[in-house]
Amino acid sequence: MSRKNLSPSTLKPPSNLPPRSTVAPAPPPSQPGNADGLMGDRERHRILMVCDFFYPNFGGVESHIYCLSQCLLKLGHKVVVLTHAYGNRSGVRYMTHGLRVYYIPWRPFLMQNALPTFYGTLPIMRTILVREKITLVHGHSAFSTLCHEALMHARTMGYKVVFTDHSLYGFADVGSIHMNKVLQFTLADVSQAICVSHTSKENTVLRSGLPPEKVYVVPNAVDTAMFTPAPEIPRSNDEIVIVVVSRLVYRKGADLLVEVIPEVCRLYPHVRFVVGGDGPKRVRLEEMREKHFLQDRVEMLGAIPHSRVRSVLISGHIFLNSSLTEAFCIAILEAASCGLLTVSTRVGGVPEVLPDDMVVLAEPDPVDLVRAIKKAITILPTIDPQDMHKRVKKLYDWHDVARRTEIVYDRAMKCPNQNLLERLGRYLSCGSWAGKLFCLVMIIDFLLFCLLQLVQPANDIEEVPDMVMALGEGSSAGDDIPGQSSR
Amino acid sequence: MDRENSSPTRPKWRKVAYGGMQPGYDDNYTDDSFLEGMVTNANVVKRDLMKVMRDSVSISQYLCIVVLVGVVWTYTLNSSLSEKSLLLIDASLLMSGFVILLLTEKMLSLNQLLHYLANVAFFTSELYVLAPIYRTLTTSISSDSIWAVTVSLMIIHLFLHDYARSTVHASGTWKNPTLTSCISLNASIVASVFVASRLPSSGYVFAIMLFSLVIFLFAPLVTHCIKKRSFCLHLLFSFVLMAVSLAFVYKLHRVLFFMFLVLLVFVSVVCPYWLIRIQEYKFEINGPWDEAKLCFDVTD
Repeated sequence: MSRKNLSPSTLKPPSNLPPRSTVAPAPPPSQPGNADGLMGDRERHRILMVCDFFYPNFGGVESHIYCLSQCLLKLGHKVVVLTHAYGNRSGVRYMTHGLRVYYIPWRPFLMQNALPTFYGTLPIMRTILVREKITLVHGHSAFSTLCHEALMHARTMGYKVVFTDHSLYGFADVGSIHMNKVLQFTLADVSQAICVSHTSKENTVLRSGLPPEKVYVVPNAVDTAMFTPAPEIPRSNDEIVIVVVSRLVYRKGADLLVEVIPEVCRLYPHVRFVVGGDGPKRVRLEEMREKHFLQDRVEMLGAIPHSRVRSVLISGHIFLNSSLTEAFCIAILEAASCGLLTVSTRVGGVPEVLPDDMVVLAEPDPVDLVRAIKKAITILPTIDPQDMHKRVKKLYDWHDVARRTEIVYDRAMKCPNQNLLERLGRYLSCGSWAGKLFCLVMIIDFLLFCLLQLVQPANDIEEVPDMVMALGEGSSAGDDIPGQSSR
Repeated sequence: MDRENSSPTRPKWRKVAYGGMQPGYDDNYTDDSFLEGMVTNANVVKRDLMKVMRDSVSISQYLCIVVLVGVVWTYTLNSSLSEKSLLLIDASLLMSGFVILLLTEKMLSLNQLLHYLANVAFFTSELYVLAPIYRTLTTSISSDSIWAVTVSLMIIHLFLHDYARSTVHASGTWKNPTLTSCISLNASIVASVFVASRLPSSGYVFAIMLFSLVIFLFAPLVTHCIKKRSFCLHLLFSFVLMAVSLAFVYKLHRVLFFMFLVLLVFVSVVCPYWLIRIQEYKFEINGPWDEAKLCFDVTD
């Protein structure tokens, strides 16, 4: 799994309820030009975000969904998030700006994934879709079983669906063959798909067989208001601090660090390392530190809570990312936003993330990585952190991401409605055996849906009145996405 | 996408994620460079039919060994093989195994041989002590279920057996055996215990257990050593084994003989041909999305 539990982002999950007084019923959604005047003549979507990974869990996908939802809310759409229960957090919660989150009582069984049951979630999903008068379902992450199920049910019920892929996957081993088949099943009938980088798009197109024009590239963004460089204080020029913030696991290239750090320390006596993060490879790093007597030059901080990531980042001059695979890599974006010069391995979508003069890329082998660090140290005096921050601010913005996602939604809504038979044809073309299996799964889903409609007609399900934030509730400022912290 | 003739001055599309939507291009724009980094069938090896057939001899050889074990089991259960002759077979197998190891393995010293002998002596005495327990282990279970389980265990053993290497290594060249080969070895030993538990006396149980263990533990090692020493010798040994096992099975049962013959032909002729044929369907995809491989060894 490529998901990180230590994401260097500081957007906190605000789980407290907004005060009652700030919430007011919205006008009926059927009126296109609605009262708050934000939408103009654009279509107002009612979006359900589905993913197994959401707050209080923390990682790239979680913050992506949260930030995107907040920005879409600001664009005047209605957004509801659906995830599984976390601990005793079950039921409906409200987050900043009235973002409603359904924690459905469905326990995770492996790595925060809900147990795949195919049809178990159909009744509750149908109820939520009807209750919230959803028009479009947006699933996230190919690793999320809840997302796959939701997209399947949504298609059965005739909703338009959009899927965002956050990860890269190979083609060689049994695990990826299985995952790719599942993805093919889900994407066979998806209205539009989104990937976070061009490399990720190539990967997704190959894995799922979607036509490339159905796959959009909408990258992640970074909350530049949270990741600001250190205030202008003259840094001592005789010492260079290289920061590493990542989980210390194989896929993040912890073994590369073990080779690179002693070599860099040997070449440059004035370089210090700060390593933030924890994981199974931490022992190896500590062994390396003792073997080369680098205890005073390599600082191991252990796991860092996301709120402290910025303070760790601004203590250094160079950020080192040694990942072996990465679809987008928010970490280097956050480092750049903090004004650090980034040295990274050239893997996956990393070369697309930053312009060439803001990052030094290297092949994922120790010799080349040391060469890249050498180069970074020589160009370091020319780097102005404040300037770097301003550039990142220009390059990435969650509001821009939301606007681009909105276009995808508009296109998805324009897709023609298809009946079950037309849709079955798409599944059938997925493979000689798999195609028939997929068809069977969809037919059973459709029959269950018909049964549910008999047992509990949609008219009997109570609809939720819409809430909109009262005026003046911070809906104008551009960069106040992070809500109030609850912890 | 569909704005091919919008304006002649639109900037060139770049494969970057930063800077928002690129002017003149939709987010679903697919450039001509799409999938440029994809490499197909980079590591595919062209296979040669003769080589695959020669390699498949190892499998047929081991099949013959297992069949011979089955023959010995059957004769013992029919009581047409006496306890004494069984023990004689055990002793001669052990001795010949040691001789072959001595002849093929250059590294083997006298010290190591003594170490081996001590181990074998210890193991044998332990087996002798445990024999009465094995004899009564499955008295409450019907014979039919025992045969069914034994056969399925032997099939598991054959399926998971590591034909390229031997699970038990000569000391000094210790490497981690794979999980499947360990499962395979254990399946064969459990099967031998089941067979032994149907025998009338402790002496028989000891003799048959010793026989099975000697074969399942050391036969792969010995054949592996022979193969390493000389491939011709390996082929010769395999063909002798095939002839012997075919003869024994023929004496035992005609239908079984026929089935065994078909199996051998299938393994050493049909399967290699099949493998060569399906090679053309092989489709490997590599590209920038692949996880990078480290160029050095990672030891935990």
